Amino acid sequence: MIAEFARRLAAELDFDPPLSQRVRREVEDHLHDAVAADPSSDRSDAERRAIARFGDLRVVAARFAVAALVRQTRGVAVVAVAMTAAVFAAMQARVAWYGVMACGTAAPTGGALAEVVLLVDRLAFWLAALVGVAGWLYIGSRRVPVVLTRDCRLQLGRFSALCLTTAAALVASVTSDGVLTALRLARTGWCADFVLPLLLLGAEIGCAAVLLARMRRTARLRRIAGSKATVWAVRLE
Amino acid sequence: MEGQMLKGHLDMIVLAALSSGPAHGYAVIEEIKRRSTGAFDLPEGTIYPVLHRLEEAGLLASKWSTTDAGRQRRVYAMTRRGERALRQQRATWMQFSGAVHALLDGSRRWNHPA
Repeated sequence: MIAEFARRLAAELDFDPPLSQRVRREVEDHLHDAVAADPSSDRSDAERRAIARFGDLRVVAARFAVAALVRQTRGVAVVAVAMTAAVFAAMQARVAWYGVMACGTAAPTGGALAEVVLLVDRLAFWLAALVGVAGWLYIGSRRVPVVLTRDCRLQLGRFSALCLTTAAALVASVTSDGVLTALRLARTGWCADFVLPLLLLGAEIGCAAVLLARMRRTARLRRIAGSKATVWAVRLE
Repeated sequence: MEGQMLKGHLDMIVLAALSSGPAHGYAVIEEIKRRSTGAFDLPEGTIYPVLHRLEEAGLLASKWSTTDAGRQRRVYAMTRRGERALRQQRATWMQFSGAVHALLDGSRRWNHPA
């Protein structure tokens, strides 16, 4: 019964595997101590009482998730800024490479479509950069909460909106880069010099994917942390 | 005691329970019950997120040890930073509780003038 309870709690904490394993061992030890201290001679009853006194495992998991959520949210802010900077570096490297390419030309690809896409690319990138930095400053200036209070939820909601804007703008910028590269490739034809720009484009896509993955992970944690944490907060803190 | 009364004081309560020496989670809960003469009878799982948070904040340190029964157990101890934090929190609490006492005594006199 104790092992099963600890296993279920560990499963609730699977968002952080090292934490999950550590808590599992701690809780098993705790429950064995509680059973040993129980005056009853019936071990099953003693285990049931020990588990009941320990509390709802989802509530405990939610409390751990709040701490993890705060860490991860700040991590997402850093990742958003870092990935935007990495995309900028890749864009600059690609443009510089076009200047020294043996095949093709450094000149713009030409055409109204390319002009529009280039404009979208620039606007989207600078939007991602500005909103990303704003989100980082915003979440970095918030006090670390102990529990997921209403104010904390509001702050996380605002940060999520900023982060979503950053991610959407970054995806738009990377997509525009892809379209511009395709247009250039269509105009000049394939040559080996295009390998580096394509690799850099792949790196940009990777950066956007990393940001989206971190955001998804944080959104999941937010659901776990929000499941019962507020009720817990009202009752106990 | 009402859970709401503990609002914001769990950190101090846990630090105070560990002030007498290193202990594992179950022993911390038992110490809290003992010192509060049963007034703070928390769901026992409450203690672990608090212990982890205090450790993350550098107020506690922990390490694994092995019990006589061969079980692995995480033992927590206060750091110097934790001791300083407890001293500060204790001073703030004494000031606050003194003010509340004074206020309640004053209101009693006001409500029942001689």
